[in-house]
Amino acid sequence: MYSTAVLERVRNPQRVGVLPDAADVGTGEAGSLDAGTWARVQVRVQDGRITDARFKVFGCSAAIAATGLVVERLEGATVADAGLVTADRVVQELALPDERAHVATLAVDAARRALQDVQQKPRMHGCAETVEG
Amino acid sequence: MIYLDHHATTPVDPRVLEAMLPYFTEAFGNASSRTHRFGWEANGAVERARKQVAALIGADAREVIFTSGATEANHLAIAGAAAAAPPDRRHAVTVVTEHKAVLEPVRRLAAEGWSITELPVPASGLVDPAAVAAAVTPATALVSVMLAHNEIGVVQPLADIARVAHAHGALVHTDAVQALGRIPVDVRTLGVDLASFSAHKVYGPKGVGALFVARGVEKRLRAVITGGGQERGLRGGTLNVPGIVGFGAACAVATQEQARDAARLQSLGDRMWNALRAQVEGVALNGTVAPRLPGSVNVRIPGVEGETLLLGLTDIAVSTGAACLSAEPSHVLTALGLSRDESLASLRIGLGRQTTEADVDSAAAHIAAVVKHLRATAPVAGVRG
Repeated sequence: MYSTAVLERVRNPQRVGVLPDAADVGTGEAGSLDAGTWARVQVRVQDGRITDARFKVFGCSAAIAATGLVVERLEGATVADAGLVTADRVVQELALPDERAHVATLAVDAARRALQDVQQKPRMHGCAETVEG
Repeated sequence: MIYLDHHATTPVDPRVLEAMLPYFTEAFGNASSRTHRFGWEANGAVERARKQVAALIGADAREVIFTSGATEANHLAIAGAAAAAPPDRRHAVTVVTEHKAVLEPVRRLAAEGWSITELPVPASGLVDPAAVAAAVTPATALVSVMLAHNEIGVVQPLADIARVAHAHGALVHTDAVQALGRIPVDVRTLGVDLASFSAHKVYGPKGVGALFVARGVEKRLRAVITGGGQERGLRGGTLNVPGIVGFGAACAVATQEQARDAARLQSLGDRMWNALRAQVEGVALNGTVAPRLPGSVNVRIPGVEGETLLLGLTDIAVSTGAACLSAEPSHVLTALGLSRDESLASLRIGLGRQTTEADVDSAAAHIAAVVKHLRATAPVAGVRG
């Protein structure tokens, strides 16, 4: 059975939604509907910092909680720190059962692709990306 | 928490409990004790219960064999008929959507060298008697088809099925557990040789059931559990007197109230289905609309994941295709042609004697709210028609 951390995130998920496409918004997806789990993460990056993060997910409760947790950790973090949100930490924090640990990897993959997506976009404002701490 | 899982079990009716209580204490005798009043009293109570069960199913009391439940009754019917079958009849016919308590003993026969036919069903869930006719041969010993389905509630054309099976001399068994007390069950009209029943599905206690064995058919049946020769030698073991008394009392109540209960449940079931249709976009019924048990609604809900749906439904007790962390889809729903995801995101709603209109309205609103919440979490393309 799931931890209360998972159940609370399923019942009351935060940052569910969609960011309208823009030069500073990146979108990443992982998994597939056919496989039963599909996560989509979006980030807005301004001056090297993730100012907004949103998600949508189709999948089991663990997938909803894991993607929600990843997005929560991303928002407010610098792009450089985003790498600290690892699948292992998500599994640990949510006490995910072994057979559902893969959904943490899925959520982290979607987040990584979202950051890659925004970094590949042409710079509209030419602001330098600062790497902090 | 609103209980809407009456296919799984029902609460013991207070009238049934009252009838049972003396048989735990002052009237504790063994129904097989012939030498004193304690035994006679217990035996009298068992025989009264036998008449009550027989009356509800249109049988003679002598045709009712008490068991520990429907699973045992199914085993006595299937393994018992197989053990007594002549050597040239080693073929059994059943349906892929049967309860595991029928499929398992039938499949065990396959391991013993029997030939087994598991008939498929279309999306309606209904067995075509012509398909049974095509499957039955002079080598068929037994045909077993459930009267009313435990997951999707559809009612099979059993009388027609029995007729075609009898044309080749096969015995006809039905697992009639879900039908008892919900629709009229008359073993003569159905024309079956063997029928399994359970007390706890009809507001009686758990741990007691019965096998109807039509007169003469006992010669074509061999006991599975042997011992003290109870139940005309067909089922050894000390009789569960309080349980049997409860089963009898539950049947007596059902004999009086079945028609009224059914009309009320039919109306509540329609109310539930209409409420879900109005509030949950894309909801679809699993199995045919009719003939179906009153108050039995099995729906699939597109665009949500089964396990998450189950965990989200905190205010109602229903059964889903999914169980946490062991999400194996229902063999019944997949046999109807549903995908794995559709099977997992299906709800079995079983209304019962205590269910009120307010329960139905509140449960439907709860389901609709949870589905809306989950669909908002899912990517747009996650909501598939």
